[in-house]
Amino acid sequence: MSRWSYFARRLILAIPVVLFGTTLTFMIIYLGPIDPVSAILGPQSNTQAYEQIEAQLGLNKPLFGQYIDFLVDLAMFNLGESWVIQPDTRAMELIGSFAPRTLWLGFWSVLLPLFVGIPLGFYAGLNPNTWSDYLASLGGIVWRSMPNFWLGVILLAGLSQDNVLLGFNWKTFIVDTGIIGAPPLDFYNVEGVTRINIGGSTLFRLPFKFKFETFIEAIKRILPPAVVLGSASMGNEMRLGRTAVLETVNSNYVETARAKGLSNGKIVWKHVFRNALIPLVPIILNEAFLLIGGSVILETIFGINGLGWLFFQAVTQADLPLAGSLMYIFILIIVFLNILQDFLYTIIDPRVGYDK
Amino acid sequence: MSEKSETSTLRERILAHPEPAMIWLAGATLLFLPQASAFFETLMLWGDMVNPFTTGSLEIMSWYVDTMVGTLGPVGGYFMVAVGGLVLVSIVTVLVKAFFIPFSIVESLGLEDLPISADLLERTIVGSVITVIGVLLVFSPLGAALEGLFAVLADIATVFTDRWTLLSRDVMPNQGFQPPASATDQYPTGALGPYHGTFLGLEPAVVWAVRVLLVYLYAFLWIGWAWFGYKTFRRHYRYADWTPRDDMIDRFSTHRWGQFGFVVVAMFLTMAIFAPPLGPVTAQENIQEPYSYQVNYTENGTVKNITHGGANSGSLSQGGDRNVGVLQYDDFGRFHPIGTTTNGKDLWTFMTMGSRVSLFIGLLAIVGSGFIAASLALVTAYYKGLTDLAVVVLSDGIQAMPALLVLILLSTVLAGHPISKVYNGALVLVLIFIAIQWAGLWRALRGPALQVSEQEWIDAAKSYGQRPTTTMKKHMAPYILGYLLVYGSLNLGGIIISVAALSFLGLGIEPPVPEWGRMVNSGQPYVASFSWHIATIPGIMVVLVVTGFNAFGDGIRDAIDPQSDGASSDEAAAAGGGG
Repeated sequence: MSRWSYFARRLILAIPVVLFGTTLTFMIIYLGPIDPVSAILGPQSNTQAYEQIEAQLGLNKPLFGQYIDFLVDLAMFNLGESWVIQPDTRAMELIGSFAPRTLWLGFWSVLLPLFVGIPLGFYAGLNPNTWSDYLASLGGIVWRSMPNFWLGVILLAGLSQDNVLLGFNWKTFIVDTGIIGAPPLDFYNVEGVTRINIGGSTLFRLPFKFKFETFIEAIKRILPPAVVLGSASMGNEMRLGRTAVLETVNSNYVETARAKGLSNGKIVWKHVFRNALIPLVPIILNEAFLLIGGSVILETIFGINGLGWLFFQAVTQADLPLAGSLMYIFILIIVFLNILQDFLYTIIDPRVGYDK
Repeated sequence: MSEKSETSTLRERILAHPEPAMIWLAGATLLFLPQASAFFETLMLWGDMVNPFTTGSLEIMSWYVDTMVGTLGPVGGYFMVAVGGLVLVSIVTVLVKAFFIPFSIVESLGLEDLPISADLLERTIVGSVITVIGVLLVFSPLGAALEGLFAVLADIATVFTDRWTLLSRDVMPNQGFQPPASATDQYPTGALGPYHGTFLGLEPAVVWAVRVLLVYLYAFLWIGWAWFGYKTFRRHYRYADWTPRDDMIDRFSTHRWGQFGFVVVAMFLTMAIFAPPLGPVTAQENIQEPYSYQVNYTENGTVKNITHGGANSGSLSQGGDRNVGVLQYDDFGRFHPIGTTTNGKDLWTFMTMGSRVSLFIGLLAIVGSGFIAASLALVTAYYKGLTDLAVVVLSDGIQAMPALLVLILLSTVLAGHPISKVYNGALVLVLIFIAIQWAGLWRALRGPALQVSEQEWIDAAKSYGQRPTTTMKKHMAPYILGYLLVYGSLNLGGIIISVAALSFLGLGIEPPVPEWGRMVNSGQPYVASFSWHIATIPGIMVVLVVTGFNAFGDGIRDAIDPQSDGASSDEAAAAGGGG
């Protein structure tokens, strides 16, 4: 099977997967013991309002018709609107305004496993069965077992203290920000110009607006939750990285290289690391669901109004249609990332089977 | 040794050479006797646990009937009720047939020649018997009679429960006070210390520590004795001199990391099983009905009396001056091993009772989802093709939904449903976890199961016409069982984290019932104050227990499959949980 027919097969298989996931969501929300309309209206509802909302949600139709409507609407990205959280706002609009903060959080939390977890794992794999290996491995395993919510609470408390945890005050470190709250993401604007000045004269102009201070502030706000969110993946990547390096170091071609008289540095950089990276890179994508699940908790703790927070609020405040639409978006993201992962595998390592 | 022959049963082998077995049995009896009454008490407790389950399931069934008849009208409603009943009966039938009926009914009745499938006939017979029994129990006085029988049995068991127990609060009470010199006649002090009411008059903290130590010593004695029993069996009664399992055990016995996991898991299990004697005070007195129980204490040279509730509100931990920390006594002479909660209850008692909740949910969910995953893995590996593809789609569909979000959604949606009342919401969590977790477990077991199904002996079994179910059970299941244990152990850690995360968010287990995550939530404002213990210690315990389960899983994996060498991505995902 060629790469492209494998890819096509993967795409076609994704359709029933998404369909099944959305069907489950539909069943939970519309067939479950809670009636979405009375949940939206709360305890004191009048019949008129009830019927109006029911008609708007299409709940007065027969069940099968509701199901088809639900699927068609989702497929056309006609995601309905919010009823309780921000009444009469289109769900798409809400997602558009909440998603950037979650993406920002996800971006920074992926950096941690990439730039801390993998190097640490490689280091442990290159020095197996030494004390530093044990320390790194143990750290990775314990780190992985730490619940996000607890780590978040502890980190938040540590940062709120003056000069206790870090030796300096996090709140006023570099730029003065609060510790909890949403990161300001308006450091970038397509309109406007940024001048890079050196020594009083304008060196060149960037064709967009970029506020450096806001940028730093946004990073500072997002770092603590991102560290916690990335911690589980970091532990995983570390363990996997260690195993991958150990496997490569003991492989025949490394032995050949050594017999040839290649320098140690060259062996490690050219032969070991490159091959050990193969299994690691795609797995980052596989952990998207950890990030989405964890974002609910961390956004709640750190007061960031992102998608996870929105979902939690939608569920607890009985804005069930919105929760269903969000779930659909999450399912799409995860399925898409899974396909991307498989695709990356076939590019990075053509040996990995298509028939798996 | 020489008379061990392949055909003799274990019983015959023991009868031929009974001494080692007798020694082991005598030791086990000696160990069992001091705790016999506690054992019966636990049995009674489990008996009581069945009640909410049966009433709860009756309630759920009537809810199902009502909704179906209500939404689909009488005809469609009763049709759906019949369908639901059929599904339920077939599930129970398969389970009963698999676990309780080892022989073939069809063969013993001599019905093999009938022109329908033997399996189907077998299941129809079992299913109709179950239906008749079920209908009789629900609709005839037989159910009430059975209830009466159980009540009589319970009465008999009560006779055993009130006997002397070594590891109990009554033998070693740790609640006492130091009477003032003027009142020692009224409140005599103990033999070894100046306290009234405690074991030998010792300090409450010391008595508590001794009791906890004894409990753990007792538990580890049992583990050691069980190990000795296994060795006795291996040496004297096993037919084969060597089995592959011996090598696994040898590998595990040099695997320090796995042993660490085993010890942590054993300590966690002991904590859950022996929760009542481990706490310095009973959960009933301190957490559930604090205003119905009283405690004596000394103040300004006089002995005073206060309810536990009153004392609780005088020993809050809320930072600043109001704090009862680790290894401290409160103002009423009550000892708190790891301090008090924000509303003055004993944190350690809360944690021990909470470990029961975590273990209950985790174990049941893993057993349930493991059973589904293993059966599906066998079936898909045996038949491959379309069956495999269908289960791939199902499991991918479930895994495409972020597990924690589904948990949040489902536990909110089901909050008003009768099923959420059973065991304070634990049962519904178990069911949700089973529904979610089987997908990941099946994915992890699919590879090993496929590998086994490619082996020659499976071909051989097929070619001489062995029934597919028998081939799966006898020739495939033993090979994937070890992997099930590995992934089960890893997943259990994930479930414990997820349950704690849910109660951290204020969902899941209903409030008066202890759950570790809730303490992290309520202690959150005080992490950086003197009352740091409320959120920190439960969190550390979650980390420790989950690390233990992960290490144990690693150990078993290295023992059963020494070539595997390290982690795979499936395991990484399983252990994280996402909370």
